[in-house]
Amino acid sequence: MSQNIKKETSAGKKALGFLAANSVPVMFILICAVCIPISGFSPAYLLNEIVTRMGRNVFLILSLLIPIMAGMGLNFGMTLGAMAGEIALIFVTDWQIWGIPGVVLAMIISIPFSIGLGLLCGKILNMAKGREMVTSYIISYFINGVYQLVVLYMMGSIIPIKHTTIRLPRGYGIRNTLSLLSMRQSIDNLLAIRVAGVKIPMLTFIIIAVMCLVIVWFRRTKLGQDMRAVGQDMDVARDAGINVERTRIISIVISTVLAGFGMIIYLQNMGNMPTYSAHSQIGMFCIAALLVGGASVDRASIGNVFLGVVLFHLMFIVAPSAGGKITGDTMIGEYFRVFVSYGVITVALVMYETKKRRAKASMGEQLQAAQQEGE
Amino acid sequence: MNVRKVLFRVGTVAVLLAIAACMMVIGRGHTVYFDNKKLEYNGQTLDTYRRINVFVNGEQVAKLSAKDRGMATFTGQKFSFDIEVTKEKGDEPVTYTFPITVPYGMDGIVLNLPGMIEELPEEAYASEFVPVATETTPEDEEIVTDEFGISIESAEDSAEAAPEG
Repeated sequence: MSQNIKKETSAGKKALGFLAANSVPVMFILICAVCIPISGFSPAYLLNEIVTRMGRNVFLILSLLIPIMAGMGLNFGMTLGAMAGEIALIFVTDWQIWGIPGVVLAMIISIPFSIGLGLLCGKILNMAKGREMVTSYIISYFINGVYQLVVLYMMGSIIPIKHTTIRLPRGYGIRNTLSLLSMRQSIDNLLAIRVAGVKIPMLTFIIIAVMCLVIVWFRRTKLGQDMRAVGQDMDVARDAGINVERTRIISIVISTVLAGFGMIIYLQNMGNMPTYSAHSQIGMFCIAALLVGGASVDRASIGNVFLGVVLFHLMFIVAPSAGGKITGDTMIGEYFRVFVSYGVITVALVMYETKKRRAKASMGEQLQAAQQEGE
Repeated sequence: MNVRKVLFRVGTVAVLLAIAACMMVIGRGHTVYFDNKKLEYNGQTLDTYRRINVFVNGEQVAKLSAKDRGMATFTGQKFSFDIEVTKEKGDEPVTYTFPITVPYGMDGIVLNLPGMIEELPEEAYASEFVPVATETTPEDEEIVTDEFGISIESAEDSAEAAPEG
């Protein structure tokens, strides 16, 4: 009898522990479970939307995993890579390189920009250890200003931009929206298959799968192990002979380059590029999606990426319609999803800090106990 | 840094540059405009045809009556198309195949089909298409977004706030 009670208690504890550890995904599953029937969307429509959004966003979110591995938290500086991707797309559009060659060329052109920006970001973050997230967030604003200076004033005047169709009427600067129709969904449409009315962009998924395998392989390499060691404890890693600063910079550079590729994949799917604003919110929403998938500031996996994209975007799709049906105003759903996006990041940051303080406090207690025993 | 590392890096950059160069060649997009319009050359006037159907890779891309213009897009520098020409009502259509090479720097090329059919020199029937820049308002620009808060307001504000050059 007492054994049964013990078993039930431990099972209850386990369930509570599981819920506590996965509170964010569970909350989103509940929100989606309530909103989907109210929204009235058919399963086929939802599936189609989710598949499209997975192809569009997963690569971008995968770029966040490596800095987390290196203990640098959520890389808000991925916006820098997004800007590099956009600059590459502006050049490719001006040079009239279409289709998949255009996408590949844009990716190659984005690499030097991403590396340069990643190096800058990594060096600054090394000067602000322990405050990486807020620093990378502010760096993204700083580089956004530089991006606007380059794109709005230097392109067309100093940097040659041939086509008047992409230049502002005043003769320099790039138009607010750049048409990417010549490469729209070129990756998504190649090898695409239809299953029960759902379009599956096979090539995009193959690229994502390869990226996932590369991340899994990278974790096992010497550099990957170094990053994990740095992520766990910088002092121990340094004592073990790892060049901590260099390892951290490399993780940010890799993340920035991948974010550049991800942004190009994202924008080729959309078919147009809002020149001055496409990158501004992308970091925030990618981070929110990753956190919704159950990741935290110091722990994230490929599974979190996929679960996050599905849940976060499912909420994005159904919330306006559900909000409209409940309150008669679709804007309620819009507000809801915006506050949920920012809210989930806030909750994740608070939970991380609480966990860190608890760990510190328990370590202090253990130390005190050890000291008392010694006396 | 050891020699092997340097060689690996230089090799990587060289491979990326080679791929980029290939992409620039095979992905260069051109627009071809087909005109079924009167052409004057060396005092000679070539009249239009009643009907010209233009095919690219077996697919009809334009159906031109007299004075019409059609267009097709392609990537790369070499392009081939077929035309099916009906001179007068009731005539049997005649088929021609034309391979053309468009210079790399030319975005669009206008081809006068009556001139091509009469086998005039290239400078008579081919000319560069120069688009006229139109001032677009944000309302004209169709913007596809997802829900990532992408909007063009901030950019418009920046552009408007900028001093005119």
